[in-house]
Amino acid sequence: MTWAHVDELECIELPDGFVWRPIRRHFDIRAFGVNAYTALGAGSPLVETHTENQLGHEEIYFVLRGRALFTIDGNEHELAAGQLVFVRDPSLQRGAVAVDEDTVVLALGGKPGQPHEVSAWEAMFAAVPAANREEWDEAIRIHDEALVERPEHPALLYNLACMEARGGRHLDALLHLQRAVALESKWAEYARRDSDFAAIRGEPGFP
Amino acid sequence: MNDPGYEILSLDDLDRLRSTDGTLLLRPLRRRLGFQPFGVNAWEGEQPGDQVIEPHREASGTEELYVVVRGAARFTLGDESFDAPTGTLVHAPPNTFRSATTLSAGTIVLALGAQAGEAFAPSGWEDFYVAFALLRAGDVHGARATVQEALAREPDAWQGQYNAACFEALAGETDAALHYLRRAVALNPKVIEYAADDDDLSLLREDSRYAQLAQ
Repeated sequence: MTWAHVDELECIELPDGFVWRPIRRHFDIRAFGVNAYTALGAGSPLVETHTENQLGHEEIYFVLRGRALFTIDGNEHELAAGQLVFVRDPSLQRGAVAVDEDTVVLALGGKPGQPHEVSAWEAMFAAVPAANREEWDEAIRIHDEALVERPEHPALLYNLACMEARGGRHLDALLHLQRAVALESKWAEYARRDSDFAAIRGEPGFP
Repeated sequence: MNDPGYEILSLDDLDRLRSTDGTLLLRPLRRRLGFQPFGVNAWEGEQPGDQVIEPHREASGTEELYVVVRGAARFTLGDESFDAPTGTLVHAPPNTFRSATTLSAGTIVLALGAQAGEAFAPSGWEDFYVAFALLRAGDVHGARATVQEALAREPDAWQGQYNAACFEALAGETDAALHYLRRAVALNPKVIEYAADDDDLSLLREDSRYAQLAQ
């Protein structure tokens, strides 16, 4: 389908309690980044507290329905439907909670002067429901699909290794974890503390 | 005052600018914010039946997403038509025909767009849309400054030079209009064929220098 109501989109509850509505992924939009977020209830997280330091994105958060309490660089702003906040500076911390239960926020983002690149976190978020159901083959498939476009993305490789370790594919997990660590050494430290790797921690070659 | 690095805005804070033919009403969001990653603008339909999205295709390869953020609209996408209440998302791949009319008063549709695989550069149409609206409102100085911004950003685009010629002709500045028309023709000789039927340029067609240009 080439049209949908925002309430018809997949509803992916993420570990920090906010709910992702994957617009870009739903339509397979390649030219720009756009998603929606809803909350589990009034007062619940709506937009994860984060910066855009890593991706360098400019972002617009537009309140489509209800009201949201944004905290931008430590300042609180309550925005109602029809209002938006444009966060130009990627280094500013931003996040929001829902004021009304049915609040919907659109998130638009991209890096100035660069063609849009699908963010790796989308696949990681998309795999959450399968991982929660311990459907490891499906969670791995979602990561594999994203890795076709981003084969050397350390966080994707690390997350894939987590899914493989949980799904009993120990050799694949070890190889992908090693690749992630080779690309970015910080993942070795994460792996040593990550319970997903309990089954392979004693294997030779575990970082 | 220091730039805080972010800005809060309501759609209702934006200018409301009519298109030259009067059929469309734009709230120029991207330009107002200076948002750079891709195109985003708000189109309004004041009354039921008003055109809120112009019937068109994006031949340039632009992929678009329309979001009904207030009211409701009747969309046509390809050969299908459907009602789109607030919260509806409509994805229009390049070259797909799209159009929408308003179903309830005060409907607003956000239009997001860019070309996949290309870095976004603001298109001159935004500047010229604003410039012509300012000119009609009597703000010639503001309008001309907007034209100059567009020309400075894309000095070698024939479209910008041609639009500048139209602008100056409508502003009654024959010499300036001819100057820009000459530059447009130098960049794309077919421009003179477009100029022959363009009402905006009627002033020039009475001038002997236009006849020389057309030869």
